[in-house]
This record gives sequence, C-alpha cells and structure tokens, in this order.
Amino acid sequence: MIEIKDLHKSYKMGSNSLHVLKGINFNVEEGELVAIMGSSGSGKSTLLNILGMLDGADSGEYYLDGVPIKDLSEKKAAQYRNKFLGFVFQSFNLINYKSALENVALPLYYQKVGRRERQDKALNYLDRVGLKEWATHLPSELSGGQKQRVAIARAMAAEPKVLLADEPTGALDSKTSYEVMDLIQKINDDGNTILVVTHEKDIAHMCKRIVHLRDGVIVEDTKIEQVRAQEYV
Amino acid sequence: MFDRDIWQEIFNTIKKNKLRTFLTGFSVGWAIFILVMLLASVNGMQNGFYSQFNDDATNSIIVRPGTTSEAYAGFEAGRRVQFKNNDIEFIEKSFPEDFVEISGRYYANTVARYKAETGTYSVQAVHPDHQIIEKTIVISGRFINEADHVNKAKVAVIGRKVAEDLFDKEDPIGQFAEFNGLPFKIIGVFIDEGDDNAERRIYAPISTYQRIYGNTNDINVILLTYNPNYDLTKALEFSDKLETIMKRRHKVAPEDQAGIRVWNYAEAFDDISSFTSVLKAIGIGVGFLILIAGIVGIGNIMVFTIKERTKEIGIRKALGARPNQIVNLVLLESIFITALSGFIGLLFAWGILAIFGPMFNTPAFTNPNVSASTVITATIVLIIAGVLAGLIPALKASNVKPIVALSDK
Repeated sequence: MIEIKDLHKSYKMGSNSLHVLKGINFNVEEGELVAIMGSSGSGKSTLLNILGMLDGADSGEYYLDGVPIKDLSEKKAAQYRNKFLGFVFQSFNLINYKSALENVALPLYYQKVGRRERQDKALNYLDRVGLKEWATHLPSELSGGQKQRVAIARAMAAEPKVLLADEPTGALDSKTSYEVMDLIQKINDDGNTILVVTHEKDIAHMCKRIVHLRDGVIVEDTKIEQVRAQEYV
Repeated sequence: MFDRDIWQEIFNTIKKNKLRTFLTGFSVGWAIFILVMLLASVNGMQNGFYSQFNDDATNSIIVRPGTTSEAYAGFEAGRRVQFKNNDIEFIEKSFPEDFVEISGRYYANTVARYKAETGTYSVQAVHPDHQIIEKTIVISGRFINEADHVNKAKVAVIGRKVAEDLFDKEDPIGQFAEFNGLPFKIIGVFIDEGDDNAERRIYAPISTYQRIYGNTNDINVILLTYNPNYDLTKALEFSDKLETIMKRRHKVAPEDQAGIRVWNYAEAFDDISSFTSVLKAIGIGVGFLILIAGIVGIGNIMVFTIKERTKEIGIRKALGARPNQIVNLVLLESIFITALSGFIGLLFAWGILAIFGPMFNTPAFTNPNVSASTVITATIVLIIAGVLAGLIPALKASNVKPIVALSDK
C-alpha cells in the first residue's frame, strides 16, 4: 500500500540546514496497523506529513497504492489527499462553527458527493463511532474523546486507502485514549490500513507493528502481538 | 456559486462577526450612496439648466444689431447698425434651405386702457412665425396670422397678467383695448411657464406698429429657426455664415463683435452639455475615490479574516479542498458583503431622491435623479469592487500550506 525508498528531508533554519530524515526505507501492506514511535525531533511527524502529502520530500521515492507521489501540483495533491488519505490530528482540528455531522460530511463535499447522500453517509459514520445522537452538536459541546471520535468518523467518511493518525491520543486522558484506540482497532479489523504516530508505549503496543525512528533513520521495525484496547475500557 | 454549503459558510462567518461585517459594509454602502447622490446632483443641475432654455425653440438663432466698435469700409467706429424689413427678405432669399421660421421684432411701450383699467406694458411687434420661434403658448383665441400682418391690422395677443390686469374676470377675446389711444382688438391670450414677466407683454403685428410709428421699416431684432435636422456643426456653420453675410451687408468689420451679434442656442447647449459632462466626470471621479477607500476596507478585513481562519483553511486542504475552492469561498464572501451593502446604499440614495428629488425646482437645480443605467453601472462596479477586495486575501488563503496552517495553534 505504501512504499518508501531512501527518503530524505531537510529544513532550512536560517543559514543552517537541519537534516531531519536521512534515508527512510519503509513498506506498509494493506490492512496493517503500524505505530511510528520516536522521541520528539526523531522525524516521525515529518515522515507522517510527507506520507500525508502535506509536505514534500527532498529526494527518494514514495508510492501510495502504486501511484508515484512526486512534484504534485496543489490541485493534484488536494485530489490525492481526498481520495487516498484520512487524517486524525492530536488537536482534533474540527471546524468549530460546523456541527459534528457537517464536519464529518466535509470531505464528502470535496468529493462532490450530493447533499442528501453526504448527510446519510456522514450520519452512518457518526453512528459507527457511537455519536449519532450528537450529530447536531457543535464541537464546543463535545468532550475531548467525542471530538476525536468525530474526527475519526470524518477521516473515515471519505473511505480512504490509508488512515494517518498523528498522536491521536496525545490530548486525551488514558481511559479516553483506550476508547479511541479501541475504535481505531475496530476500523483496522474491517481491513483498513492505519498509521499511528505516537510516543506512548502502551498506545504503540495496541498496534500490530512498531517502527522506531531515531535521528531521522529507522532503528527498529518489529511486528508485535497486538494488545486489545477493549480490555482496558 | 449557487452551492448551498458555500452560502451557509458565508452566512456563518457573517453571523459570527456582525459588527465587523457591518463596519466594512458601511464603508462601501456609504461610498455608493455618495456616488449616486453626486451623479443625481449633476443631473439636477443639468435639468435646471435645460428647463431654462426649453422655453424657446432650441434651434433658434437671434441676430441683434449693435454699435460698431471699429472703423470699416469708410465708416467710422461708433456707427449704429439698423435692421430693416429688407434684411428679412434678404435672409429669406440667401438661405432658403437653412431657415424654417423667421420673424422680426420691433420693441415699443404702450399705455393700455380697457374701461377704467390702465397699465403700461412692453409691446413686441412681430411676424406670425414668432409664435413658433419663441414657443408661445396661446391659451385662448389665436396668435397673429399672415392676414393680420398683410392688412396691418390693429390686433394684439396679450399675456395672461395683462389680461388679468385689464379685463379682470371678463373674457378679453374680441374686446377692444386702447393702446396709446388707438383701439386694438384682442385676439388671443398667451402664457409663459416659469416667467411671469413675459406674461406682462403684448404681441402685435410688426407691420401695424411700423406704420403707427412714422411709417418706418425698422426692425430691432431678427429671430429665426434653422432646419431642425441640422446637427451642432451644421447649425454653427449656418450661424457663422449668416453672421458673415449680415456683417458684409451692413459694412461691419468681420471681426467686430459689437456691430452685429448672432446668437445661436446650439452654442449655449453645447456649452451646458460640456459643462455638465465635466461635472459628471468629477462626480464619478470623487465617488470612485471614496469607493476605493471602501474596497480597501473590505480587503483589509478579508486579510484579517484569512489570518484568523488559517487553521480552518489548513484543515479544509487536508480534507481535500482544492485551492480554487478556497479562492471561491473567500471571493464570494467578499462579493456578497460588497454587493449587499452597496445595494443598501444604492436603495437608500434612491429612496431619498424619490422622496425629496421632486421638491427641488429652482432654475439651478431641478429634480435630481438617477437613471436606470446609473444603477446598473453601480451594480456592476460593486461586483467588480467585491472581486478586487477579495482577490488578494483569496490568493493569500489559497497559498496557505496545510502543514503550516495545522501547526498554527
């Protein structure tokens, strides 16, 4: 599903240049649930941004579902993001003046799905994260966990090939974190490919594979026995 | 453009920022209000000027004799030029194609008496064509005709004020009044809108008066109308030619402006229309400058809005919004605020003009109003203004990098 070969990325900081990714080689198969771990500054967020086409690589190859991702125009990048990727952010990033339902429907709007169908689909996804009754509520009326579930529903609504989650539990207490991870595991059980960036060990162990980053290179890449979040909820 | 979601978002942002939207909208509405009022005022001035001239036929020319200011053809300066009956015949023969109506005018004063009432009035002894040249409106009876002129009939057409003074409530038509002791039959009463003094005037056949006053054939002024199909250039060409020929005939130096004066209404109209078009240009110029201030205001607010919404734009981009969708959103919001507030300004100005406009009826300022074309132009200007105001902020918004936007906490 994801193929990365010798990926490099550096940032210009005034006169110095900061080499963040120093040759990443990395493959993800369909249906995997991968945790990307590393301390801050290890380059894990940068990697995720490049995977998410929010940022470009300096050199190296990146194939997403067999499609080469290189030198994309803004328009093309927008189309690919919409078609291939779903995002879940640490700070939820819901649009605060839109109801939960409207937030979930937004990627469908950019897919040019008709209004009625959009509403139905969005409601269906809200139901799957257990927030059907909260459809008309604004984000400000929801708890942190509920917000993240709405964000996950939004990411899933576009039926992406890959779900990218950047510290999805970073702003949540542990109980809510496990609820969210439970949801992510269930989505993965349905066959969706998911990448989770985290620095929390317990969260990482709820995935099926852990990739360790340190100083811009992968130092460890192991398949693990998944811990079901259900047990902690 | 007619997407419900886009409008929903626009209304949402407006609802969230009522005061800000109102303040920006106000600047544009105010600008349009001033623009419309300025144009209406220019129109009012134009109307005022034209109404002063409408009284006379707009294709008329007046030829006045004067006193020569320079020596010419053996004559010394200071000679009085006198027109005679044969000057009219001469013009008739010289310009058969150019003139339509022609009349001489002979000035006199008379003490008029009817029964116990007397009054002193000015008399204009004229040819029958004079009615058309001066657009005299006869409300009862008739004007002087060809037969009166040929027979040197003692008939008179009196102004409404004269009729009121002398005849009070009696019908003056067919009555005889004494003018300086001579009986004149009243054949008509005329009115002159907007000029009371003109209604204190009496018209009589020029031939009659020339005979009464010592068998002269003097004429004080010659009035004529030219072919109404002539445009300005042709009309001026004609009056220039007339002036040249009349000066030659009366041995007046060609460049002597005092000897004979030819006054063409077309010239005055030309002057007025160029005057009002300059005023109009100034009005539009000032209006536009004010409008630009409004546009800058909206642009400013939109830039601020974009700054505030950077994160939201980042989220939208992450969810797959294309750059032009972001541009559309910002542009439409800008156009919407501009057009709506502009329209309110426009309607406000229009309402004020509709209510108060007709109240103005002075010679310098009559019924200020705006035409439909002005309104349509203003609307187009508003939409363009909205696009201009939103363009820079919109481009700024579409250039927001999703990654930068998302880290903007």
